[in-house]
Amino acid sequence: MSQLNVIHAAVIGLAATFVVLAFDRAGELRKDQYVYVPPAPKVAAAPAAVDPDKGKPPPHNDKVEDLPEGKNRELTFYTCTACHGVALIKAQGLTRDLWDSTLDLMVEKHRMPPIKPEERTEILDYLAEQFPPRRKGRGSDNPFLK
Amino acid sequence: MPRSGTSKASRRNVLKGVGMATIGASLPPVGSALAQGAPAAKGPKLLDMEGKAKLAVLGDKPLVAETQAELLDDSVTPTAKLFIRNNGQVPDVTGDPKAWKVKIDGEVNTPMEITVGDLMSKFPAVTYQLMLECGGNGRSFFTPEARGNQWTNGGAGCPMWTGVRLADVLKAAGLKSSAVYIGSYGADPTLAGDTDKPSISRGVPIAKAMEEHTLIAFKLNGQDMPLIHGAPVRLVIPGWPASVSTKWLKRIWVRDKEHDGPGMGGFSYRVPKKPIVPGSKGDEKDMAILESMPVRSVITFPADGTRLTSRKLDLRGHAWAGDFDIKTVDISTDYGVTWKPAKVDAPANKYAWQNFSASIELPTTGYYEVWAKATDSKGVTQPFQAANWNPQGYGANPINRIRVLVES
Repeated sequence: MSQLNVIHAAVIGLAATFVVLAFDRAGELRKDQYVYVPPAPKVAAAPAAVDPDKGKPPPHNDKVEDLPEGKNRELTFYTCTACHGVALIKAQGLTRDLWDSTLDLMVEKHRMPPIKPEERTEILDYLAEQFPPRRKGRGSDNPFLK
Repeated sequence: MPRSGTSKASRRNVLKGVGMATIGASLPPVGSALAQGAPAAKGPKLLDMEGKAKLAVLGDKPLVAETQAELLDDSVTPTAKLFIRNNGQVPDVTGDPKAWKVKIDGEVNTPMEITVGDLMSKFPAVTYQLMLECGGNGRSFFTPEARGNQWTNGGAGCPMWTGVRLADVLKAAGLKSSAVYIGSYGADPTLAGDTDKPSISRGVPIAKAMEEHTLIAFKLNGQDMPLIHGAPVRLVIPGWPASVSTKWLKRIWVRDKEHDGPGMGGFSYRVPKKPIVPGSKGDEKDMAILESMPVRSVITFPADGTRLTSRKLDLRGHAWAGDFDIKTVDISTDYGVTWKPAKVDAPANKYAWQNFSASIELPTTGYYEVWAKATDSKGVTQPFQAANWNPQGYGANPINRIRVLVES
């Protein structure tokens, strides 16, 4: 009986030692220490990844100063350039009425988030003042326009 | 394309698009000028992009660039010189073009999702030289200004397109008798970076969709479709505003009524049924969809502003008229007092532009305007000034003019 107990004790002791060693090796007993992880063996080179941006136009970012100076310039800049560049704004020459319907178009067709009424007025003030109709000739002073 | 790819694209686009615009706005002006070349001292900013010529940039974000008249000189427009018009952002390159799927659903007996590989193997490929023209081409000729990108005549080109006929694909899906219109969708995220909403979705009546020159195209001038022009597949619906020629094609929805996607209503791609006062707001009820593009001519040689050393002028250009052929092109060097017919070549096929040329002896040295006026097969010609003004500026096709100086 006593001999069996000795063998049991030896087996249990050895098993416990292995378990403790295994935990130690796994880093479980020294959690705040870095564990050496051998580098993964190099496998055959992966197939060349496709650059998802290849063929795209270069990124473009404008700055506030790209718009002419004027009251409400910053508000106009940040509202409009969330989606599109200032070149599009500067190419326009519209009456306040048409600028107003342009903002409708941006909200309805181009999904611009709605703007607060007072901000809309300020943006319209800026756009109508800075970018009014500029092209001269027949049609620029129509007798039936207002 | 798997959905996971779409959501990844969404994150990246949000970062690059909206986020960077705001971040960039607060940074010193370093990269932006370098990205597309500093603007020339005079004239438009020129495009600086791999694979593309120095086109005139109308807008950087979204990228919109037109082909200057003298760059339109080739009989077949080279890919590098084809104009660029984006409504949203450019989607990511697909790693496996043949696995790209196009869905055909709606009023069909057998809705399907077909891969580009199957499109190529199951349907005959055809190649045509076809006009692609922005609906707003000529907008800058309106007085007062109409809203939108200020195109001269360069929102147009006529390259070779290879693809399968949309008609063959729709027949395979089996059109129901209720099918009257198609609406098409591309993979381009909106300018705000959304990939779950269309940036634009337009369409055409079934008869136009079934026309034998209407293609799902996968090659441009014999090469795989470049990303910027709609890789891996796009619609080419020639003769109509190019916004119906959906790039990065993902879905064709066969409708039982006129399509109503973004870009189909209001003043978009519409012209007045009843003339409106130029510069006024107009009324949406008075507008009708712009279908066939109007008759137009462009002198591509010599360039506007050329100094000539001889009174003899050999000029050339192209003319086209949407769904119709060109019957005549006339040239005037005296502000329309007298006209002389140019030689007009037959089109390579229906929907290809037609080359014209003329040899003119200018009476003296000095300053001349050379005007070109095309007339289509219905007898419809170009007006002396942009006509039928509308708030978003469609259909401006006045007589083309270049200025030359004959020096002794």
